[in-house]
Amino acid sequence: MSYYRGICNFCGTGCGHLLRVEGNRVRGVYPLSGHPLSHGRLCVRGWHIHELLQTEDRITQPLIKDGGHFRQVSYGEALNFVTERIRGIPGHEVAFLGSPRSSNEENYLLGKFARGVIKTNNLSLSSDAGQEESARVLLEGCGWPAMTGTLAELRQADFILVVGGDLTKQNPIIASEIHHAHRAGSFLATISPRKTQMARLSQLHLRPRPGTIFCLLQGLARILTDENKIDADYLSRFTANSQSFLKELKQVEIDQVVEATGIEKEQIVSLAKRLAESDSACAFYPTGVQSLDSRTIAALFNLFLLAGKIGRRGSGLNPVTGISNLLGSYDMGLSPVFLPGYAPSGDEREWEKLENFWQTKLDRWPGKNVDACLSEGESIKALFVVDHDEEIIRHVNRIKQLDLIVYFGAYGNPFASLAHIIFPRTSYAEGDGTYTNSERRVQLVKKKIDPPADVRPLWETLTSMARALGHDWNYRSTEDIMDEISQLVPYYSGLTYEKLTTRLGLKWPCDDLHPEGTDCLLAEEAGHSFQFIQADQPGERLAFDQEIEKDFPFKLVVGRSNYFWHQNSVMKRTFIPKREYNALLLLYPKGFVEISEEDASRLGIREKQPVRVVAESAEVRLAARISRDILPGMLYIPYFIDEMIPEFLHRQVADLEKNEEFFLPVRLEKAV
Amino acid sequence: MYWLKKEQLELLVKKLAEEYKIFGPRHDRVSDEVIFDHLTDLSELDLQAAIPYNPPKFILFPHFEEILKYRYEPETKEVRIEQINLLEPKALIGLRSCDLTGLLCLDRFFLGQEYVDEFYLAHRKKLFIISNTCIRPFPQCFCVCTDSGPAAKDGFDLDLTFTGRDYLVEAGSKKGQVLIDELGLAEAGPEASALKKKIIDNSVSSFDSFALENKAWISRATNRLTTGFIKPEVWEYIGNQCFECGACSFVCPTCSCFNIEDANLESSETDRLRTWDSCSFEGYTKMAGDNNPRKPVEDRRNKRFFCKLSYSQSKKYLRPGCVGCGRCARVCPGDIGLPNVVTYIRREITGESGE
Amino acid sequence: MDKNLMPIVSIPEIATIVDIRDEIEDVRSFYFTLDRPEIEQAFQIRSGQFIMCTVFRAGEFAVSLPFSPENDRKHISVRKVGKVTAALHQLEPGDKIGIRGPFGNGFPFEEIKGSNIIYVAGGIGLIPLRSSIIHVLQHRQDFGRVILVYGAKSSKELMYKDSIKEWQATENFETHFTIDRPEPGWSGEVGFVNHLAAKLDLPVSDTVAFVCGPPVMFNAVIKELKLKGIKEQDIYSTLERHMKCGIGKCQHCAIGRTLVCVDGPVYTYKQIRTLGEQI
Repeated sequence: MSYYRGICNFCGTGCGHLLRVEGNRVRGVYPLSGHPLSHGRLCVRGWHIHELLQTEDRITQPLIKDGGHFRQVSYGEALNFVTERIRGIPGHEVAFLGSPRSSNEENYLLGKFARGVIKTNNLSLSSDAGQEESARVLLEGCGWPAMTGTLAELRQADFILVVGGDLTKQNPIIASEIHHAHRAGSFLATISPRKTQMARLSQLHLRPRPGTIFCLLQGLARILTDENKIDADYLSRFTANSQSFLKELKQVEIDQVVEATGIEKEQIVSLAKRLAESDSACAFYPTGVQSLDSRTIAALFNLFLLAGKIGRRGSGLNPVTGISNLLGSYDMGLSPVFLPGYAPSGDEREWEKLENFWQTKLDRWPGKNVDACLSEGESIKALFVVDHDEEIIRHVNRIKQLDLIVYFGAYGNPFASLAHIIFPRTSYAEGDGTYTNSERRVQLVKKKIDPPADVRPLWETLTSMARALGHDWNYRSTEDIMDEISQLVPYYSGLTYEKLTTRLGLKWPCDDLHPEGTDCLLAEEAGHSFQFIQADQPGERLAFDQEIEKDFPFKLVVGRSNYFWHQNSVMKRTFIPKREYNALLLLYPKGFVEISEEDASRLGIREKQPVRVVAESAEVRLAARISRDILPGMLYIPYFIDEMIPEFLHRQVADLEKNEEFFLPVRLEKAV
Repeated sequence: MYWLKKEQLELLVKKLAEEYKIFGPRHDRVSDEVIFDHLTDLSELDLQAAIPYNPPKFILFPHFEEILKYRYEPETKEVRIEQINLLEPKALIGLRSCDLTGLLCLDRFFLGQEYVDEFYLAHRKKLFIISNTCIRPFPQCFCVCTDSGPAAKDGFDLDLTFTGRDYLVEAGSKKGQVLIDELGLAEAGPEASALKKKIIDNSVSSFDSFALENKAWISRATNRLTTGFIKPEVWEYIGNQCFECGACSFVCPTCSCFNIEDANLESSETDRLRTWDSCSFEGYTKMAGDNNPRKPVEDRRNKRFFCKLSYSQSKKYLRPGCVGCGRCARVCPGDIGLPNVVTYIRREITGESGE
Repeated sequence: MDKNLMPIVSIPEIATIVDIRDEIEDVRSFYFTLDRPEIEQAFQIRSGQFIMCTVFRAGEFAVSLPFSPENDRKHISVRKVGKVTAALHQLEPGDKIGIRGPFGNGFPFEEIKGSNIIYVAGGIGLIPLRSSIIHVLQHRQDFGRVILVYGAKSSKELMYKDSIKEWQATENFETHFTIDRPEPGWSGEVGFVNHLAAKLDLPVSDTVAFVCGPPVMFNAVIKELKLKGIKEQDIYSTLERHMKCGIGKCQHCAIGRTLVCVDGPVYTYKQIRTLGEQI
């Protein structure tokens, strides 16, 4: 046998694949036709995962920095180093940065190590706030923090709405599934300022001006009431606060929506009617870079609730995660606001439960995410990091001042080189673990090759480190850890390795009531009412300053590329995806800014002409790329890697990354 | 022709395993996947299984392989180039006729043009091929349209046809005949050819209507592709559907585009790697500097279908480049597997509407 | 195939860089000899062919050959454009490179015997034509008028100034030069090479043209030559494409039904026009 079943570890789709292994090396990859979600498809990244897995560019031994250089050391010496250094640092001065690519078992243990051993609540993934906001909105609205629908029934959906992002690039196989559904007869609409591939494949593409998706969604909801298209029976049976929501909605004026978004009323009406008249309707939105902000997610939720499309078969609100185990990382409580299983960190009873379960004292103070811990005026002294890359490097100066940086990683990168100590870790093909995709599908990946001689899995290193710090954890395998997770996290209570070994994943909640997992959230079974979510500022109009518009008439947004996103250190180790990225970089060696055909001709800007993008605080010189994909008045810079992110954007990237609705007011000038 | 009793099959495989590394279809129960794989456990060979999702191409033309290794010492300026031994006797058991046809296309392409590809040749040299007649077609199959099935015509050492209980065996080479003699297989009577013909006819008649109807359209599409009389709008439509994943090339039994990269190892050695590539990628034709002669995605799609169906490309394979296995349609995240492209061309010709 | 002309197909032969010369900015010539004497002896090329050159620990690239099959030193002239060529530019005399080839069809000298020849080159487009010019000058009696029309952005960008001087010293070789913008000390023509070609009194009947240069220049020159009455099948050029194998297998250089590495790189304009891709 040379082909072994597994799950792709790039994006949050979790496609099934076969890795071809010969002589302890991964030699190729092939899609798995029997996989219930991917049905034998992979994207360009998935088709080249073996290129990454065969790289020799690995961290193979613990390393301690000595006089600016790394020196190979034994695990014993490395563990001593960490225990001695960390002893003098109080918990609240330590932060943990986890990886959304790590397995559930690894992330669970990292959280337990942070909270239970180091006594810190500063733990998070990087600045990817979209997932957290999405989980919070959905929890508040329907008590379920992830995809309420299911991809399995998508091909039967009447109506599909894709909001924001560029799903074809971020999660190509989910996009493909939407495309299949569309071809099978579903009505497909896209709301996105950019003319993405998804938009081109859609029957209806609404292009609101940047920053106005929220406004458009409110407008759609208003139309539903105006046209008397709401499902009163559904609202009274399943929702708790529809009256106050409807009252609030009265403040939304359609004329203003039309003016702000630039979309004609007829189009808004036609989309709203389509939604209302469909038997089943799904909405998709990405939660990574380009995610929506919480008020926009809330508006989308409210719209679907008003149309009676939450908690129904074939319907639902479907956030799509950009990274393989982003959802699982939150399930495991890798966040300052959630304990494992989304237990709110503000709830004292949850802390007591956790203390009993972990048999150790826990500190209750509210933690922060790593981004906040590293901003000015904060006083953290130590940072534990799992497999991260240059993304966080914008804090490089702050990071350099820390007393202790412990890095766990499989591959070297600029971040690792800042560390005081590095622990190697296995790649995902070198150990067992479960990963939870966008669809809540928990999938077990089995070890396929042996790691290099001195490389241990993260859970083993954490277990040794906990022991060295006086916590006698006794895990012999990742299966032991999953047993523990299933006792703590209700959604996972029915999951066992035994079950997962003979199935291609199970969708949580998997519990006594649903031993084979759960397809989707059903209003009848929820056991509680759904809530309309109150907007932070009711009836808020456009947050766009007329004064700024005069000087900076363009709205600059950033986006991601098919081949490169986030963990670029991953893609750099491939050949074909790297080449595809370079193809664009060669055409525009100093990066580019996209401008609409209309604006280009109005300003007399030619293709590849050097231009200056000027913001209030800084400016950058780039080549113009004239595009039919973007709206007049909008500029677009792809979110690539350092070489492509101009310095001035670096300072804004934290904001730009937060959500699709964020834009930077700029003006465009020809560079001489 | 000869009879191979079901229980003799095991013997045949064991015999081959003495000399060859055995490859064949196996069925993974959990995923219900049929994989053409290196069989370390010979009992996993499943000749009744459906057509494997992967063609056997990877055995002769791996997804990823080192074709050379060299060490360069910058100090002494010394170079040592090491050839890698790729020669390994392999038996491919239970090849479906589409996949055998694909393999013969690769042979003609890699071995039969201006130059011989030495790396392919090394993999190909010691091969024992046993084909397996498809006694019923699978849902995606259209080999009847591309003259590549459901039964193999040539290129095998042994050809098997399952008759419901046993196998009819035909030798296609001296090697094959020797093995038949060694196993002492019973000669089949004169009725054998008629029986085999009946089985094949029965298989042909059970093809899906889309395959049977498409037969004439494939040749008309071939004509249009060769002459270039296809409207740009058709290519644009196809381009919009393309997710640029490369899958159609990777799963195609005849697609053979590759990339070469020198990868430096920790040990100061360098591997020259040859990896699958696809003409659907933008970087594929990209030249150093900033010129790319083939930019829009529809141009790149155009290229692949030209390769699969045009007469000029068929000259290289001595047959159409498409073998009718239907895999490209199954892996495509868009809707542009080859059968659909033929449909789009058909619509253009007849003016039928798309819906 | 003549055994002496057998190219090096799969495994690169090791060669030593014996000399390096700066031609123009970012373009260098690397003179080499093959390390194995029997290979050095047997290595034969035709004008218009190319080789695959390995820069160890960086990769391999295709490069057209500027030297003549007879009495010329083996070398390549390479512009620094990507990762591999940049690594080549780092090398010094004594360093090793790998060579495969020569590959491709080459110019059809037999077919054009007796014709007038017009060479039109832009910038580094002179590289692949150099070999042909030397060959023609060495067999001067076989051809009619021989004319070089050469243009570059500036006088600094003109390639092979020494060679050009040598050629000008031979009899019956007409040369015309132009640069895009006027500059001090330049007394020759100013303007694009197609404009210069338009002004010149060029032969038309029994005439072939060899045209090489960047795509914009190429198209403009072709238009001019056709206006003058030179037939499409009498205009030759060499195409450059991204290549990985050089032997017709990797398919990177496929254009329609042709593979540049085995069917080309020399094509007539008539062929190029029907390929259906940009130049």
